[in-house]
Amino acid sequence: MSGRILTFNIFRYDPQEPGDKPKMVQYQLAETSGMTVFIALNRLRQEQDPSLQFDFVCRAGICGSCAMVINGFPTLACRTLTAKYPKGEITLMPLPGFELIGDLSVNTGKFMRELAERLQLWLHPKGGDMDIHRLEDPMAPEEAAKLYELERCVECGVCVSACATKQMRDTFVGAVGMMKIARFELDSRDGRSADDFYHVIGNQDGVFGCMTLLGCQDNCPKDLPHMQQIAYLRRKMASTLL
Amino acid sequence: MAGKLDIRRWSGVLDVGQSLSGVVLALFLWTHLLLVSSILLGPEAMSWVARNMELAFLSDDGHGYPWVVSLIAIGVGLLAAFHVLVALHKLPLSLRQQKALKSQMQVINHSDTRLWSWQAGTGIVILLLLPVHLWLVGSAPETIGPVGSAQRIWGEYGYLIYLPLLLTVELHAAIGLYRVALKWGAARDLNTRARLRTIKTVLSVLFVGIGLAALLAFLPHTPA
Repeated sequence: MSGRILTFNIFRYDPQEPGDKPKMVQYQLAETSGMTVFIALNRLRQEQDPSLQFDFVCRAGICGSCAMVINGFPTLACRTLTAKYPKGEITLMPLPGFELIGDLSVNTGKFMRELAERLQLWLHPKGGDMDIHRLEDPMAPEEAAKLYELERCVECGVCVSACATKQMRDTFVGAVGMMKIARFELDSRDGRSADDFYHVIGNQDGVFGCMTLLGCQDNCPKDLPHMQQIAYLRRKMASTLL
Repeated sequence: MAGKLDIRRWSGVLDVGQSLSGVVLALFLWTHLLLVSSILLGPEAMSWVARNMELAFLSDDGHGYPWVVSLIAIGVGLLAAFHVLVALHKLPLSLRQQKALKSQMQVINHSDTRLWSWQAGTGIVILLLLPVHLWLVGSAPETIGPVGSAQRIWGEYGYLIYLPLLLTVELHAAIGLYRVALKWGAARDLNTRARLRTIKTVLSVLFVGIGLAALLAFLPHTPA
């Protein structure tokens, strides 16, 4: 579909600039073949408006930096082809629920760091073994594959924005928190007991606060199995009640 | 260990309780609707159902015990009250939460979230209408029957309660069962989820249809 003119409606607001007010600004750009929203944004910044703010690093769906709301759906700009929109109209909004840096750029990093610190989302070796010279125990390939499936999360923040529960309740851990807890719970090298993990998410800020709206499942750009994973954690947690 | 019922256990108990009470209420609702819609088979059919619900087969004079219906109404009322109290934990009650929900729903297009907002909205309407319905039948159980019910629905303007209650409760129950199924992992894959969603819609439409037909079927029995 090269050759047509695309119309972009882009949210513009710089909180750093005194007196600036949020507004939608329209841009037009000639579409090229294989164009993604990410390529279009770079062209717009290069050719039309150098003040346009948005984040990117890898341009290949791996870093999770370029997540934004594209025509009502939160997703990665680098994995969204402009050819997907027959009308050629594309509205871009920053992800809701995060601190706005400016225009389409939000501070997902700050959020992810706070979450990781709160839920202790790193490996706690068994027996508090901190000797980095000791060889790790080998891991069965099946276990590694299971971990890898959950480790595919790129922390783009889409599940957080897409979750109305999270938007209403700041302390809710969201799908990314539960996914990461599940990842360390599966890891045989981690010394924390099931009870330790459940202590963190077995409450209304965790699985029992989740309303199963499934915005996480429906928008995750990495297609992680949020629906099944959260249901699994909920069943497991509920079984400890007995 | 009674002393260990801490916040963590309570939140689990309440979440399971919300799902369970919802499922029981939905099953009761549909059974109740099917029993009432016996009027579609004629007044004798409905009288027979009403008699048996009052356990007429246990009484010597064949009149049964209408207070059994009052007991059922009290039971449903208590269960619904529990369901409401737990569900309230999840509704946006503060202005800040309502604003966050509104702005998120404006920016993000997500059908299951819209579905939930319908469930929450219908829940509030049901919270207001159900007590009236329970009082109307629970306080006069002996009047349930083709003529008594017709008088209540059409003669005494009960339809002003029953019509909105039927529409909201059938949406609320079907959406709720759909969500309970997903919540506890009944859908292993996304195709199953799509199928469950279709079933949910069919159930809502079907029961609203039966309910409307039953309400209309009472009309000819209204005493002049």
